[in-house]
Amino acid sequence: MKYTTFNPKRTNPLVEPMFFGNPVNVARYDQQKHPIFEKLIEKQISFFWRPEEVDVSKDRVDFQSLSESEKHIFISNLKYQTLLDSVQGRSPNIAFLPILSLPELETWTETWSFFETIHSRSYTHILRNLFADPSPIFDDIVANEHIKKRAGDISKYYDDLIFLTQLWQTQGEGVHTIDGVAYTVTMRELKKKLFLCMNSVNALEAIRFYVSFACTFAFAERELMEGNSKIIRLIARDENLHLTSTQHILNLWIKGKDDPEMAEIAEELKDEAKAIFMLAVDQEKEWASYLFEQGSMIGLNKDILCQYVEYIANHRMSAIGMGQPFDISTNPLPWMNNYLNSDNVQVAPQESEISSYLVGQIDSEVNADDFGDFDL
Amino acid sequence: MSEPQKQYVITLSDHISIQHDPKDTVLESLEKQNIDIHYHCREGFCGACRSKLLEGEVDYTTDPLAFIDDDEFLPCCTKPVGDIKIKIEQ
Ligand code: FES
Ligand SMILES: [Fe+2]
Ligand SMILES: [Fe+2]
Repeated sequence: MKYTTFNPKRTNPLVEPMFFGNPVNVARYDQQKHPIFEKLIEKQISFFWRPEEVDVSKDRVDFQSLSESEKHIFISNLKYQTLLDSVQGRSPNIAFLPILSLPELETWTETWSFFETIHSRSYTHILRNLFADPSPIFDDIVANEHIKKRAGDISKYYDDLIFLTQLWQTQGEGVHTIDGVAYTVTMRELKKKLFLCMNSVNALEAIRFYVSFACTFAFAERELMEGNSKIIRLIARDENLHLTSTQHILNLWIKGKDDPEMAEIAEELKDEAKAIFMLAVDQEKEWASYLFEQGSMIGLNKDILCQYVEYIANHRMSAIGMGQPFDISTNPLPWMNNYLNSDNVQVAPQESEISSYLVGQIDSEVNADDFGDFDL
Repeated sequence: MSEPQKQYVITLSDHISIQHDPKDTVLESLEKQNIDIHYHCREGFCGACRSKLLEGEVDYTTDPLAFIDDDEFLPCCTKPVGDIKIKIEQ
């Protein structure tokens, strides 16, 4: 079915499935088939923040004092996060928008992706402060084997779905040969690709950031790189919301509350979906080994990080009916909770500053073209 | 103005029982008794505190956004409306 940016047909979005129904026409939010996505939009917008409002200038001094192995840990994590948010800043839009059928889910997707671009912008903010020329760091993201390996697995499911959608929207269902390869396009096949892709995104949002979050907050526990930590706290808050959205989408399918065919597919591809999650867990553990290969950092080591990944994975897998495959029931890094809570209702023992107050804070090193020489 | 609220009992699946202070959420009650429970956002959108509600009922202090199954609840944004029995993750 050819994509149209404004479907002139009168549709009733209250009865459309989330995906592969009629294309959305009127962007209206007064009524929703699945109100959760409207609520997520409102919540996400209420979280709006700008990286420039977080003062990272003191991190430069801290960074110089880190050991070589700690520098490796810090920079490698930033590279990996840059990769993840580069993918997430565009892919939900490109993969999901052309096949979405509900206005609230369409706008949620755009809002979600937009916040991923804020995350990407914050890495530039952090790196520009640490290095006169951050280019070598960015350049290594597409050269570094350890990062590339993950990039492939993350983008693969998106790319498969995008490609099959393009075939379907230009040629319709049937067998189409492109560059000598025959592709079978059926609605069932498209929906399978979508289901696997959503599982891959869910795993990404669920666990792929947590090794680097843990390292960031371990530095902050030692009062190091605290500007960076404030930014990562804001990112983590957003990521929690993104994860909630993919859990809702998957559960709406699994529990037969949306497209009944997706419920069948969820059952049919149960093992494959679980394997996607388990592979992400393995890769995060491998990442932990890579981070610590040049030496450890105070407060963290590879084993405890791997346990933390398993602990988080148990919790997130059980949310989508995958059970708790790992034998770990207590949080090996309980102090992480203090950094991952949102500010409004917290009793944060470690944090003296509340990150929402940071919005509006003036950078202590102000550029002439920024805010003038305003001082706090 | 409403009457001073009643104190209810929160029982954990391993038979520990605590008194709930009407001012507190279930999560805060547990923390005050030094019972560790996993949390992140503390405002109902992340699902980190997701736990089983085995018996009784709770009221939400905020509209929960996190995914919860039919037999689950979010301790960070609920208060009991009677004695409850729950199973938490630490
Ligand atoms: S701590 Fe986030 S939902 Fe309860
Ligand atoms: Fe992100
Ligand atoms: Fe995200």
